[in-house]
Amino acid sequence: MMSLPDVNALHARGRWPPPEGPRVAIVGSRRPSPYGEAVAEQLATDLARAGVMVVSGLALGIDAAAHRGALNGGGITVAVMGTGVDVVYPASNSRLAEEILAGGGALVSQFPDGTIPRRQNFPARNWTMAAISDVVVVVEAGEGSGALITAEAALHLHKEVMAVPGSVFSPLSVGTHGLLRDGAGLVQNARDILAVVGRGGEVLDDPLVPPERLGFALRPERDGIVAHLSDVLALSAADIARKLQLPVSEVLGRLTALELDGAVRRQEAGYVRALRRGKERA
Amino acid sequence: MLASVDSCVLVGLEARRVEVQANDGRGDVAFILVGMATTAVKEARERVRSAIRSSQLQFPGKRLTVNLAPADLRKEGSGLDLPIAVATVLAVMHKAPPPRSAFLGELALDGSICHVNGVLVAASWLRKQGYERLFVPAVDAAEAALVEGLEVIPCTNLASVIAHLTRIQSIEPQPLTHPVLDTGVEAAEHDLNEVHGQEEARRALEVAAAGGHHLLLSGPPGAGKTMLARCLPGILPPLELSEALEVAQVRSLLGDLSATKPLDWSRPFRAPHHGVSMAGLIGGGAGVAQPGEISRAHQGVLFLDELAEFQANVLQALRQPLEIGRVAITRSGGSVTYPARFTLVAATNPCPCGWSGDGRRACRCIPAMVDAYQRRLSGPLLDRIDLKVGVRRVPLEALASEPKGESSAPVRERVLAARRRQLDRQGCLNAQLKPSRLRQMAALDAASRQTLERWAEQRGLTARGFHRAWRVARTSADLDASEHIGERHVLEALGYRLNDVAA
Ligand SMILES: [Zn+2]
Repeated sequence: MMSLPDVNALHARGRWPPPEGPRVAIVGSRRPSPYGEAVAEQLATDLARAGVMVVSGLALGIDAAAHRGALNGGGITVAVMGTGVDVVYPASNSRLAEEILAGGGALVSQFPDGTIPRRQNFPARNWTMAAISDVVVVVEAGEGSGALITAEAALHLHKEVMAVPGSVFSPLSVGTHGLLRDGAGLVQNARDILAVVGRGGEVLDDPLVPPERLGFALRPERDGIVAHLSDVLALSAADIARKLQLPVSEVLGRLTALELDGAVRRQEAGYVRALRRGKERA
Repeated sequence: MLASVDSCVLVGLEARRVEVQANDGRGDVAFILVGMATTAVKEARERVRSAIRSSQLQFPGKRLTVNLAPADLRKEGSGLDLPIAVATVLAVMHKAPPPRSAFLGELALDGSICHVNGVLVAASWLRKQGYERLFVPAVDAAEAALVEGLEVIPCTNLASVIAHLTRIQSIEPQPLTHPVLDTGVEAAEHDLNEVHGQEEARRALEVAAAGGHHLLLSGPPGAGKTMLARCLPGILPPLELSEALEVAQVRSLLGDLSATKPLDWSRPFRAPHHGVSMAGLIGGGAGVAQPGEISRAHQGVLFLDELAEFQANVLQALRQPLEIGRVAITRSGGSVTYPARFTLVAATNPCPCGWSGDGRRACRCIPAMVDAYQRRLSGPLLDRIDLKVGVRRVPLEALASEPKGESSAPVRERVLAARRRQLDRQGCLNAQLKPSRLRQMAALDAASRQTLERWAEQRGLTARGFHRAWRVARTSADLDASEHIGERHVLEALGYRLNDVAA
């Protein structure tokens, strides 16, 4: 077990310690599927609206989605960093860090100012994240993911661990489904979490908006392709071309048009359906 | 008496005339060689002396002085053996060589004449200088006889050369090597019908072949990137005569030409290992730089597998040849320029472990490692690659159910038609269009331009990236036999920009 730093003596930028109230950590893969990213963001928004402080690690992927979601919900969010609080890593999250501070949240770290990203510092950061939270929610974590360290720390610290289920086809579900099998709480919407932190009575108008209701103005001839795409598993242009019996050059072009509109996203292995508009990304 | 015979030494794909003057003089017994000869040329003395004696010819009794003029030119190689021996024998015999003739060849101790590198290069240069006759090793005669208007005398041994020169027994000149295109079924080594699935990469290969675009294949180990790359020569048109001669010149310099069939019509395919040195890839070596892999790949394909493993400075050095199609190298022996217009096919894993983005296996790389890996791939080299596609691993058990692809022959027909359109319209392939001519030859309608600009804005494309996508759109339209670039062509072109990140 790690030796934990004194929570009140953490290095901080922004308001620290934060106001009293429940704190929920949302952690997960740095390279999530659109599904995982959408879930993390929506959960964070709903928790923030219910007055819950959202804790995460300011990494790419689920972490960034959680912070962003909390800010969208008008809430306070805290980033626990594995670097000095003056070193935002990755640098592409600098704007997000500023927004966290502007929203009344904080950047905290057990490492002194100027500490650069070092691999061995991140597990300790994950412990700290668990230590300052009441509940740890894991959204998409592959085997060996850092989010699983946070979950393990939470168990050791007698904090609640919860997980969001994913597709059984996705490698990103290996970690979360393992947690669920081992007794982690099932998260299907923010209410499940609020019940655990004793805010079960909070009213949420639209917990986890289903993706259909986010609606894209799709040109009719392009709908055909989107219907064949998954929001979890990437399909290549070749896969889709084969299904639709169309030349791959044409499918590639139509996918690019959808990508321009923000309706699909391209990953290394192929294309996935986007659940949010591409433009909303920070 | 003094006898003078002409020869040449090679400086890259150029040559310099060397006059070999032999003087059978008085004085102590000696064989003196003057005129800035390198060690290899100095060794010629032993070979020449032995070859002349073995050939039952008379070696000067007293003092033999051989001068290689001009004195300020560095002479390398063994090709001067034959002219030195001929000049020496003619000096003793008080004879002169035939006019406008040159000699080239290495001697063995028994007087036989052996192969030297670069005979084709020497022959073309000598013809341009007004020489009418060239004596070359018999094994290199077919190569020299590719040059029209030059009488090529194939030489097997010194005695027969002297017999020819003294009109005792003449040697039949080598007939002109007719560059006849092979009409037989020219089976490419690798055919696209061996590639299962991978329709996206196959299409990218077709676009690369049609427009002369460079291509990056990104995917996990075992996805078939090498196989795809090896299929490219088979869908390219055969070499034109002028191109085949350029390829043959580089091979000639390296002593790499077939003695019986010096002209090869198939496109070169070179795949240097990622450990290749700067000299090996770009060209170099001591004295006068030798051509490297990029010049051996001239008019063909250069395949760089595991791009991220190549030394950074070696990759940097590719930028100039990628841009201008040739490479200039300066060494102690002087500056040379070699042609290097090739299609680059690079292959890479998406991350150090190779499995990032694979649906079946999880990537185990830490993000900082992936960042560092991709940084090595990005930057100025990748900026010059028009087409970037992901290649997916087809699981072994699924291979059988993957559709068998179209074979190379019909793909090549489409490539040929698209290339013909380009050459008729603008005299070069789309990849070589300068921005000013691009505007002229590849006008975009309002919708196409708007799409391209939208992407450029979203992804923060550089001007160079913008032009690259535009050129690929032109090629897409040419494959479509379309005079005008439509929005669908622009969209397809943007589909090959794997590494543009959303801003
Ligand atoms: Zn990896």
